[in-house]
Amino acid sequence: MTAILSDAVALTGALERAQAGDHDAFAELVNEHEAMVFSLAFHFFGDRTQAEEVAQETFLQLYRSLRSIESPSHLLFWLRQVATRRCIDQVRRTKLRAVPLESVEELYSHEPGADPLRDRKLRELVASLPEAQRIVVTLRYQEDLDPTEICRIVDMPVNTVKSHLHRALQALRRKFQGDPKS
Amino acid sequence: MNLEKDLARALRRERPAPGFAGRVMQRIETQPEPRVRPHWWRTIAASLTLTAVLGGWAAHEVYEQRRLEGERARDQVVQALRIANEKVRYAQDEVREIGSTHNE
Repeated sequence: MTAILSDAVALTGALERAQAGDHDAFAELVNEHEAMVFSLAFHFFGDRTQAEEVAQETFLQLYRSLRSIESPSHLLFWLRQVATRRCIDQVRRTKLRAVPLESVEELYSHEPGADPLRDRKLRELVASLPEAQRIVVTLRYQEDLDPTEICRIVDMPVNTVKSHLHRALQALRRKFQGDPKS
Repeated sequence: MNLEKDLARALRRERPAPGFAGRVMQRIETQPEPRVRPHWWRTIAASLTLTAVLGGWAAHEVYEQRRLEGERARDQVVQALRIANEKVRYAQDEVREIGSTHNE
């Protein structure tokens, strides 16, 4: 509890210093949130290079919009929303599809008891979902957000989010079990 | 198979390649400072508002001045009529007095 409080105080301090023009404080904010932003893009594209580009662009946009950020929780919401929008914009602009993840598998740190092959297969399947389902699934399972929180980030009605989630899970279950119809 | 649990594990957060913050800071430092764009529409709107206010104020001043001059002229006419009236009454009184003296 004390650690959470001191983290929150430190983040508020870093945000205020960054807003006053302190570059080291801004780098602290980047360090704090880089995994979240990078992973949203990585799970969306299935490609580290593209994820790095989107994550960098997201933080550059944050640097330009720093004055509009009101609190650390607002910062978290803002980063999730901007990273999500950038992923969708990028995929619409370039009409890219997800690429296989074989090249990056060795970068993962495997949890004890986890099945790396199964995890890779799941990530590939997620990256092959339609974009709206892909982003909703990523926010739900990477960020552990519920549909009411997701709908604010992706700017969709909550029932649409639930529907995307339901269809995505159905599709993943079918594909994962090797349904020939899929 | 617990798909949701498997998804939470497969989609866990991953860090980017080491030095990510440094790469972001490098891009920030090499980027030109954002140019402050002149808000031309704000300037135009402010000029139009100022013109309207000043125009309205000037028109009101002219109207007010004319109204005061009109009132002053009316007061002068009333004053002149009052004086003329007194003079006529005085003349009438004089004529009446002369007439009664002759009759006697």
